[in-house]
Amino acid sequence: MKALKFLLPGAVGPFSGFRWEVGTWHDTSGDPTCGHGVHACEPGDLPFWLQDELWVVELRGDVARGRHKVVGAGGRILGRVEAWDDAARREFASACVARVRELAARRPDAAAHLGDLEQVGPQASAAAIASLAARAAEAVDGTKGYDAERAAQAAWLGERLGLEGLLAR
Amino acid sequence: MSAELTCAELVELVTDYLEGTLPPDEVERFEIHLVYCSPCTTHLEQMRETIRTAGALREEDLDPALADDLLTAFRGWRGDA
Repeated sequence: MKALKFLLPGAVGPFSGFRWEVGTWHDTSGDPTCGHGVHACEPGDLPFWLQDELWVVELRGDVARGRHKVVGAGGRILGRVEAWDDAARREFASACVARVRELAARRPDAAAHLGDLEQVGPQASAAAIASLAARAAEAVDGTKGYDAERAAQAAWLGERLGLEGLLAR
Repeated sequence: MSAELTCAELVELVTDYLEGTLPPDEVERFEIHLVYCSPCTTHLEQMRETIRTAGALREEDLDPALADDLLTAFRGWRGDA
């Protein structure tokens, strides 16, 4: 199956430190149902794993679904999603900041997250700001609010990055 | 329970994460927190480095005076010095 994977600059896995090479299969002996293997995600999972580089990956062998990821016994990266660039990261972060402000204006429960925004500062990563927006929504509507905010972020990314067409190819 | 781990919760789970004993769902929550929290990422790296460094030490590498100081400190900490 085709999926997506966020990597650090230079196609390096953020948790494994593994440096990926385009087109080269990497197979593991781990059991995907136990979370061992090649980790990737589907469009709805993207806001949880934001890093500098986004890649289309192909998974093979057994593939298990986690709460916010998919794990395959093996995988390879196929090509970078060039649309996830500095401009897209900035736009996404701005949209998340706007959501925190909107939530805080509507409900005092979310206002504390405005202070968190100030604390992380303008150089904060898109991932940090997206998490703040989701937690502000959680302060307003509990788990339902959190999940809805993450789903809205995923929809924003899917549309902006044209992911539907990309994975269908 | 909040959808995301707090920094304090992550610190409690670091050892289990490094030893590979966390259940898959908890590993996922742990790593999602790392994605957006650079202080916790730094903490995890420091723990890894500490384990690497301490694991390479042998008893004979320790200066005897330092070993005595450490033993005294540990006994004092346990309240039996």
